[in-house]
Amino acid sequence: MMATQAMILEHAAAMPAPTWHFLKMNDTAIEIPEGLEISPHVKVSGPAKILKGADDIERAVEGAQEAWSAKHPAPTQQEIAEREAFLAAEVDATYGGTAQSDYQKHADALEASRSLSQAFEHGLGSEAAMFLQRVAGKRVVVEGEAGQNVEVDMIVKSVPEAVSVAAIDVVAKCGAEVNVRVTVDSQDADNGTNGIAGTTIRVFADVGSRVGIERAQTLGEGYIDLDDIALFAQDNAHVTVKQTVLGADVSFTGLAGDLRGQDSNVVVDTRYLGRGMQKRDFNYLLRHHGPRTKCELRANGVLMDECSKTLRGTIDLIRGCKGAEGSESETVLLIDEGVRNKTVPVILCNEDDVAGNHGATIGHIDEKQLFYLASRGLSQEEAEAMFASAIVEQAALDAGSSEIRESVIRLGERLAPGFDEIFEEEEI
Amino acid sequence: MDNMLLICRGLCASAGEKAILHDVDFEMRSGEAHVLMGPNGAGKSTFGHVIMGDPAFQVTGGSIVFDGIDIVGLSTDKRSKAGLFLSFQAPVEIPGVPLRSFLRAMVDAHGLKMKNKEFKGRIKELSAELDMNPAYLDRELGVGFSGGEKKKVEMLQLLLLRPKLAILDETDSGLDVDALSVVSRGMELYRQECGGTLLVITHNTRILERLTVDRAHVMVAGHIVDEGPASLIDEIDAQGFERYETAGLAIEGK
Ligand SMILES: Nc1ncnc2c1ncn2[C@@H]1O[C@H](COP(=O)(O)OP(=O)(O)OP(=O)(O)O)[C@@H](O)[C@H]1O
Ligand SMILES: [Mg+2]
Repeated sequence: MMATQAMILEHAAAMPAPTWHFLKMNDTAIEIPEGLEISPHVKVSGPAKILKGADDIERAVEGAQEAWSAKHPAPTQQEIAEREAFLAAEVDATYGGTAQSDYQKHADALEASRSLSQAFEHGLGSEAAMFLQRVAGKRVVVEGEAGQNVEVDMIVKSVPEAVSVAAIDVVAKCGAEVNVRVTVDSQDADNGTNGIAGTTIRVFADVGSRVGIERAQTLGEGYIDLDDIALFAQDNAHVTVKQTVLGADVSFTGLAGDLRGQDSNVVVDTRYLGRGMQKRDFNYLLRHHGPRTKCELRANGVLMDECSKTLRGTIDLIRGCKGAEGSESETVLLIDEGVRNKTVPVILCNEDDVAGNHGATIGHIDEKQLFYLASRGLSQEEAEAMFASAIVEQAALDAGSSEIRESVIRLGERLAPGFDEIFEEEEI
Repeated sequence: MDNMLLICRGLCASAGEKAILHDVDFEMRSGEAHVLMGPNGAGKSTFGHVIMGDPAFQVTGGSIVFDGIDIVGLSTDKRSKAGLFLSFQAPVEIPGVPLRSFLRAMVDAHGLKMKNKEFKGRIKELSAELDMNPAYLDRELGVGFSGGEKKKVEMLQLLLLRPKLAILDETDSGLDVDALSVVSRGMELYRQECGGTLLVITHNTRILERLTVDRAHVMVAGHIVDEGPASLIDEIDAQGFERYETAGLAIEGK
């Protein structure tokens, strides 16, 4: 029987352009406890193949690389010289002659390598992604052929003292529509359990395809959740990701996306609840390469008790992405004084004629809302409890599969007995 | 004093520096239907909000006695539990909270001890009664609701809570003919089923056609300038508020 060794995945979920170190939010460290049994409890329903060493994604990226290289000839020596001169002037103007930032160097090197597979980044970082792939062993490959519509449901069911991970590759060929719904749930467990559940999902969305990923995490106490996503979008591809983070003591959610194709579009909707001493870590990195690419990151959460949350959201508008638009918005309700909430929205811009927006509503229930609710009999505490419970109810209402719905309702029931009654089917 | 439900005496209220209500006397008996009229900006909504305990306003003088107790020091949620209800002229939107969850929280806060089945049944019944699409129940409270839909949701809450006194602040404004008759029907239901007491704030006589009004009050510039039987409504409908406005200015002036 295989088991984990104690280790720390350093610099996971790192922001590409770091902020002040003292803020302690440039990246995070993921601690893997020792002796967890490696036991993938993954159930898949729908058309998918499960095998070791699947390389469909690699081949898809290679294919894309050929097309991309043909369309984007390597710059001539003269162009490189011109670009360098331009950058030097820019650096002079912006930094008063100091050296380029590490971020800029890395970004330029990545551009210069002209390698799509290198640009295929993981939200939790490469080290964490490698760990997850290794632990998962086999890969679940979901493939949508041209014009096909594929629906797949998966459950990662964690058990105590084990690490259960699913590695999922989604390849949507031209014009295909692929929807994958993943429930990350645990067996009922007593206090003092230890366990890790996770997914690492790679998505290759080819020209004109539509991919929907929905992941809901309703783990019990004592669990760590690792949610890693890497996206690659070709021309006119639309990718939507819906993440629901409700359970687990500690959760790491990381999503990186490469909007390579023109007019490609990525929408990420995240809903979360933090309570007790829970820790929530979110990292988003969207790189716009293609012209008129669009991304939208929306996060909506409720934080209570003494939980802490960090959200890093980077939108990188890379040279050449004319007409691109990126936006990130966050709504967080902070219920208790003991909550720690950190958010860094970063918009990097190396192109004119682009739009990058961010907005945040962080705070307590608004006075007008509070008065309205009070006029219907709700005290402040009752109003706050309603907002927390509403996050879970909304998650159940919006669930894309019965598995997600049921696991969300079970979690709601653990938090507030009687919760499941709300969703009892009406007798006909 | 028998069966007096609401008595305001010399009620003065302000929003920060701005004094809005001046020396308001107002009485309602249990089971009655009253109308409060007055030009825009007279202070009608403020009056409703002050009775409900809106912290945006301060009571600077006088008393509000509801059902035998002085409620000036009582928090809004306690006033609601005591049987007061205010339907908002502009109902508030609560993103992130499905209407159904809100209704459930409201019923629980009132200690109505409704079993889930009963709760669902009641809501279904009321939605039908108010010609409301039950799909709204799963939508976020007020978000993307039309003006008329918001008002229907206010009526639904009124009928669910069955308060002793309901203040309807322009619940009829901006409604089409169908929605107007739905609101009228809601008012009738409230009076018949709950023996409810009603204070209707309105600019239109349409909504009053199917309501037997016991008394009408006129507010101008934060003062009650007239009150009388239902016939007063027709007088005002014909003549407007002009005669009071000069009188109101006289009061302001001294
Ligand atoms: N929070 C506030 N701060 C300052 N002034 C306010 C506040 N609320 C209301 N007012 C003022 O008090 C006055 C009365 O307003 P109110 O809304 O009560 O009038 P109304 O009679 O309901 O008018 P309408 O018929 O237009 O609804 C107005 O001059 C208004 O601008
Ligand atoms: Mg008003």
